[in-house]
Amino acid sequence: MICLPRFFALGVLLAALVFFVGLPSPGNAASGSIPQRVVSLAPSITETVFALGFGVRLVGVTNHCDYPAEAKRLPKIGDFMSPSLEAIAAKRPDLVIGVDGATDPAKAREIERLGIKITLLSVSSVTEILSSFKRIAELLGDPEAGARLVKKTTVQFDKVKTRVAPAPRRLVLLAVGLRPLVAVGGKNFLDELVTLAGGENIAANAPQPWLNLPDEYVVAKAPQVIIQAGMGSDTGGSARHWSDLKSIPAVKEMRVYTYNSDKILRPGPRIGEGLEDLARLIHPECFDPASSGVAKGSLCEGSGP
Amino acid sequence: MKVLDLRKLVLVNGALLILLILSAAACTLLGPVRLDLSHALSHLFSSNADTEILLRARLPRVLLGIAIGGGMAACGVVLQALLGNPLACPQMLGVSGGASLGGILGIIFFPNWLLPIAGGRLGEISWIPLAAFLGALLSMILVYRFSLFHGRLHPYHLLLSGVILNSFIAAVIMFLNSIVDFYQAQGLLFWLMGSLSTRAYLTVGFIWFYIAVGFLWLWSKGLSLNLITLGEDAAMHLGVEPGALQGQVFIAASLMIGAMVSVSGVIGFVGLMVPHVMRLLIGSDHRLLLPASFLAGGIFLCWADTLARILLAPAELPVGIVTAFFGGPFFLFLLYREGRRSLAL
Amino acid sequence: MNAIQTDNLTFSYGVRPVLHGISLSVRSGEMVGMLGPNGSGKTTLLKIFSGVLRGEGEVRIKDKQIESYNRRELSQLFAVVQQEARVNFPYSAAEIVLMGRASYHSPLALENQHDLEVARTSMDLTDSLAFADRYLHELSGGEKQRVMIARALAQEPKILLLDEPSAFLDLKHQIQVFELLLRLNRERGLTIIAALHDVNLAALFFPRLLILCNGRIHRDGAPCEVLTEKTIEEVYGIRVRIEHDPTYGKPQLFFRPAA
Repeated sequence: MICLPRFFALGVLLAALVFFVGLPSPGNAASGSIPQRVVSLAPSITETVFALGFGVRLVGVTNHCDYPAEAKRLPKIGDFMSPSLEAIAAKRPDLVIGVDGATDPAKAREIERLGIKITLLSVSSVTEILSSFKRIAELLGDPEAGARLVKKTTVQFDKVKTRVAPAPRRLVLLAVGLRPLVAVGGKNFLDELVTLAGGENIAANAPQPWLNLPDEYVVAKAPQVIIQAGMGSDTGGSARHWSDLKSIPAVKEMRVYTYNSDKILRPGPRIGEGLEDLARLIHPECFDPASSGVAKGSLCEGSGP
Repeated sequence: MKVLDLRKLVLVNGALLILLILSAAACTLLGPVRLDLSHALSHLFSSNADTEILLRARLPRVLLGIAIGGGMAACGVVLQALLGNPLACPQMLGVSGGASLGGILGIIFFPNWLLPIAGGRLGEISWIPLAAFLGALLSMILVYRFSLFHGRLHPYHLLLSGVILNSFIAAVIMFLNSIVDFYQAQGLLFWLMGSLSTRAYLTVGFIWFYIAVGFLWLWSKGLSLNLITLGEDAAMHLGVEPGALQGQVFIAASLMIGAMVSVSGVIGFVGLMVPHVMRLLIGSDHRLLLPASFLAGGIFLCWADTLARILLAPAELPVGIVTAFFGGPFFLFLLYREGRRSLAL
Repeated sequence: MNAIQTDNLTFSYGVRPVLHGISLSVRSGEMVGMLGPNGSGKTTLLKIFSGVLRGEGEVRIKDKQIESYNRRELSQLFAVVQQEARVNFPYSAAEIVLMGRASYHSPLALENQHDLEVARTSMDLTDSLAFADRYLHELSGGEKQRVMIARALAQEPKILLLDEPSAFLDLKHQIQVFELLLRLNRERGLTIIAALHDVNLAALFFPRLLILCNGRIHRDGAPCEVLTEKTIEEVYGIRVRIEHDPTYGKPQLFFRPAA
């Protein structure tokens, strides 16, 4: 009778231990085995996995994952910013891949605590994006695929770089929002893409990757090309928005463009194509002299398609 | 006996008006980029960077800042009188919450819709500010209905409904924030933290007209506002019909706040701090407090916007952050020095 | 002429009845003291007289229905000194008194010299001129009360309603206030109705006493008539001995506590 309280206390302690530490979960990815069930926490990751040829292993993607077309049919595990833990766990994945800086770190810890392997990859620069191709390929057991994707993208980059090399750098404003104006700053892979495309980002000296720019700054920097990117941007709207600031070369020469694709906005396998699109906007004369309306004698004239 | 007389009215407002004009000039000349004023002025009619910076990028902002700073301060004054509480602010009534929700819904669902003005001849305006104003109106009607008892608006109920509506709207906005994409999230931030970024003189002119009319009407009620702060019964004994006054002031202030938030997002602190500071400096007579607060609010927001442009150049800070960041400590400092002498708390 | 006249006045706060069938008339120039325990309806009755509350039954001011007056007109007829002055904003005593002049000038105009004179005189009468420029919330309860009375006087009313005007005053100022009321009544013919809690002072200064009990008029008349030991016991529930003081011939209470 006297011992009962002691056993009772022990029982409570044990229950508390189980509650806080958690029961050992049925084994998931033992180190060394290749993940077969993968959950992606970002559209760029989804695209990369497909581009590497492992699309068939994806068992869960975010609501925003819409490329390639097959991705739209995959089961959804929630939002890019805040994925659903239950949905992820229900898919019993071997590996979850997220983006460092975009995926909520608290959610990432929760996933780990459930015993699921999760990796967060940083994709803030072009170098890191290319590394992510290799890393994902390694994680999924085929480093060769990664090297091939990196090579393919690098080739795309080189083609563009060669094209625009003869032309002088053009000042570019690359924005993703109009009201308010959200521009690409320094420390952003898009800034690097602009440079690779033969342009110079007017906000490159800003320490933030994205920033609100006051109109006076844009006028003072006098960009020669204004590119309004982001889904749902309305073509006429961008041009009209800047139309009263006629001292800006981009406005005077009618080089205000709208770019409605995710190719450059996702740090994934399509940035090579996206870079070419950017370069075509920044240096149209280097791609198709006839349609660019640029005066004869431009440095790129005659470089041909 | 030191009471309000014409001399004090003219002196205080005159001094503030001069300060306002000087501030406006300074803020138009200051910014993250260098402005060559002589070049701008000598080439006023050709398109060049300096003139455009002066007249298209900066001046509209400064003018808008004065109108909104003044309008917010004036609304703060009357709401404090209406609620019988020197710590009330325009955000408390739920109107600005409704406006920000309307604007956010506009950003999410119809960001590119445009409404032509005068058949398109005067340009177009985005549907987003209109949606915001609609949100403000709905909030106003809701709070009004919930606070109306026996033909009178009860301050207690006003405050309560406003706070509850605000909490509800905040929850909805939080929810929307979690499901929008990155680009829409930027738009949300604009609404919640405010920005005076504008180049449209049409908008600025419209807001100026609107705020001026509203302010003049409120100023004409200055004496009645004095009386209402004595309590509803005392106000009645002194000849004021509190029910009618409360209703009219509430609607006028709500309409003003709705319009301001629709154009510039939620800019906090001005409506709370400026009336209070002015009260500490010049007393509580609303006939002087209203115009003085209006002018002081304009000065304050003008400078806040300049700081917002300069502090983290080239990036532009949301002006609501600057008003809170600099307004708060300055207010505390003033409270510390003067408060024990004059606050009725 | 009747300053105030009511006929079968009834009033309830929601479902709680407070006044039952009050019929009375106060003639111009009368000075009436209202007595009665808390909750007997004194404050409510004053609020109905001044137009703040509306009950069932007729209320006539100067032989006209009270509904036919607008607020501004009422505020030139009545001035009210409330029981408690709670002001949330920092106004000076002078500013408060000057607010009494509100209905005498256009809302768009500032107070003129005459307004200032009236305010000054009123403050002088209530011995409050010394702290005219001090903030109201810095003053003691009694000083505040005197400022409020000054504001009421600044309204230059025909009828003065007071709700326990001596509540926070020290003895000296209590006597001063009542002496002032008496003077105003005699010199200016001001009609005065005051709710009071001090029976002895009421008896001394007020020629007519109205005793309310449970929302009804219990007694109405001169102090000698209405103040009896029996009445006090009925209304207040305490035993007293009443004697007529030799100097003024007014009945005064002497308490007889149980111990």
